[in-house]
Order: sequence, then structure tokens, then C-alpha cells
Amino acid sequence: MAANDIELRRLVIKAFHMTDVRMGDENKITTDGKMTINNDCLAALTEKYSSVIEKVDVEVIDPGDHDRHTNTIMDIIPISVKVLGKCGEGITHTITGVYVMPTGVDTEGIQAHEFGSSDGNLKDMLYLNRAGTPADDDYIISFNITFKKGMGQERYAIIDAYKMVEEWMNTFRAQLKKFEGTKCTERHEYYDKIRPGQKKVLVIKEMIAHGAMLDTWIFPDQPSGVEGGKSLIDYGCTPIMLTPNEFRDGAIKAMN
Amino acid sequence: MGVGPSTKETSLHHFRDPLIKVLGEDEGIDLMGVLVYGSPEGNVEKIRCSRTAAVIAECARPDGVIVETDGWGNLDVDYVNCVNEIGERGIPVAGLNWSGTAGTFVVESPYLGNVVDFNKNPEGIESNIVGENNYTEDDVRECVKRLKIAMLKKERGIK
Repeated sequence: MAANDIELRRLVIKAFHMTDVRMGDENKITTDGKMTINNDCLAALTEKYSSVIEKVDVEVIDPGDHDRHTNTIMDIIPISVKVLGKCGEGITHTITGVYVMPTGVDTEGIQAHEFGSSDGNLKDMLYLNRAGTPADDDYIISFNITFKKGMGQERYAIIDAYKMVEEWMNTFRAQLKKFEGTKCTERHEYYDKIRPGQKKVLVIKEMIAHGAMLDTWIFPDQPSGVEGGKSLIDYGCTPIMLTPNEFRDGAIKAMN
Repeated sequence: MGVGPSTKETSLHHFRDPLIKVLGEDEGIDLMGVLVYGSPEGNVEKIRCSRTAAVIAECARPDGVIVETDGWGNLDVDYVNCVNEIGERGIPVAGLNWSGTAGTFVVESPYLGNVVDFNKNPEGIESNIVGENNYTEDDVRECVKRLKIAMLKKERGIK
């Protein structure tokens, strides 16, 4: 940091890297990088959202094992949790090395997409190593959602689907929150700060707010989450100001 | 309609946004904040929301503004209006937008010269490949370079 920078607040993001992800007896993550997934919880979860969702299947995709069919990819979500402080300050824990990929189709085989479907062979339909996509050596948790007939195009059903994904993620968040901070694999410090004398630059981001699959939510309770958040549509699409640290702390959830 | 799989930004993209990263690390820039607005369907609302964003920018007195969107097609209406309103207010402006060959601007403005097209698809199309046409740190650096030149020109009174 330059000598005359004025620090406003600090956000520390601690990453815990997963090196071994596989199906197992329980939904569990450990600080030494092991993650197991168990599908026993899915029946109850499906029942809860049964008005719009027919079934869910969760599978682990190993790094490079992408020569397989995928339904349309709805989002790529990091598993993160707020440990201390409000959005944009304090401490956030996040998992690296594995990301959640919800996919959607309905019982009639219609893909849950609005403008172009990414269903097909995963190796052809997912461009790796972007900021918003997994890297070559990352695991992917494919969260395959089968909607009831016609529900893959309904806004309330899509929102329910993302709520369901979040509920599933919460099991891991609860564990991640209690992780010993010193055992993190990466530690990033971010500051909201004033740099006197430097060029003042404002960023404006226009985000989709049309409806089902073309939606963006802001200020969820947990980073990149849904609960507690609100659609930009409900804000009348009016501009909302965020500090850089709020943005870095998962204040925006794509509801594509 | 607007955004397809190859341009849509995922939640992970927002969490690790290269634009915020690069600007935050640039010691020659005082990053004021991120102004987010939704792109609605109706044209009247599109103009109102994007103009309001430009008004907020004017009131905040920035030296420069970067306008970005992952949308195209009808989302150009509000995007271009926002860039245009900022330009007309005499504020240096640069941007990031996907155009390629399939998504070139559907509306015009004299202030689009510093907008970087972050197309990556060889044919310039919406390929439906998730993440393919997302902007990277290199795109952001090009955009920041253009904004810095625009800000310098204004400072020195060069047209």
C-alpha cells in the first residue's frame, strides 16, 4: 500500500483448497483438503421443492474428466461463508479447487435456458480457466436439477432451484465457517481505500434484469448466496452503489 | 434478446471479477466504487436507469468512468445510452462490451471509441460455451489504458 493511502476497511478472504473430492458417507470438508459428497440428503430436499422440482442428482466430476454429457449450465458458484463482520469487511472463508455447477432440464427434456443452451458434451461447452469458470485442475460438483414439466422457464422455479442449491451448500458452509483460519491455503487482504492524488475512477456495471434465467440478485446474506438477497428487478433496476470490497465479498449472485 | 451462455457472467466471475482486481491493484487509480444497475426489458426504463447511473457519476465527480456489461442485443440500448450520457457530461469514459460479429452495437454514440470488445470466439459469435466470451485481465488492462489516455487528454486540453 502506498504511504499516503487512506484505509477505510479491510476484508480478508481465506481460501481452503480441496485436493481430494469424491462421493462418500457424508457431506463433509476438512482443512486438509478432503471433501466427500453424499446424496442421502437429496430426497428430503427434493420433497421440499417438489412443487417445481422433480429430481436432483449430484455428482463429482474429476479434473479433466469432461468428456460427458451435461444439461445446460445455469451457474458456477463458489462455496463461501461469512465468518466475521458485514459484507465487504471482516473475514470470509471460501473453498477453492472445487465449484458447484447447477444444471437444469425439465421432465420433457427441455433445457432450462432463456437465450442459448449450453447442454452438450461438457468438454465442448465449458471454457475453463476464466475468472468465472473452473481451472484445469479443479473439481466440479455437477448439481443436476430436473424441473417439473415447463418449470425450467418459470422465474419462481429458477429461484427455488437456486435456493435449493444454497440449502445444499449450507452443510458445507457451516463446517467451513468453523475452519481454523491459520490453516488456510491462501490469504488475501483487500482494502476499501482512498488514494489521494490519484485518478478517481468509477466502475458502472449493467447487469441483466429481465426475468427467468436473465436475473441478477444483490446483497445475499452469504457470499454468492440467495437467501436475504433481492433481485435488481425488485429494485426497479435503479443504480446501487457498492464499495469494491462489497463486490469482492460475493454481493452479486448471477441468477442466469 | 440479450445474453447467452458464452457472455453471461457467473457468480464465480463476480466473486473474482478481473475488472475490480486490476483496478484495485493499480496504484495510479483511486477506485471509487462499483455502481450496479439492472437492465430492464422496456425501453423507457432502460433509458431512465442508464441515465440515472450517468447522473450519479456526474455528482460523484470522477476523473473517469468504466462502463461494463455482459449483455448485448437489447442490452446495448441502455449500455450505449449510459456511455453517451457520461460522454456528453464531459467525463472521460471507457468500456468493456461483447460485440464480436454477431453482437455489434444496435445503437450508436460518438463516445463508444474507448469501448473494448472482449470477444474471444474465432467467428465472433455467441457460441453457447460457458465463459468463452467473458472478459479477462488483459481486456481490462486495455480498457484501463484507453481510459488513462482519455483522462490525460482531458487534463491537457487535447481533443
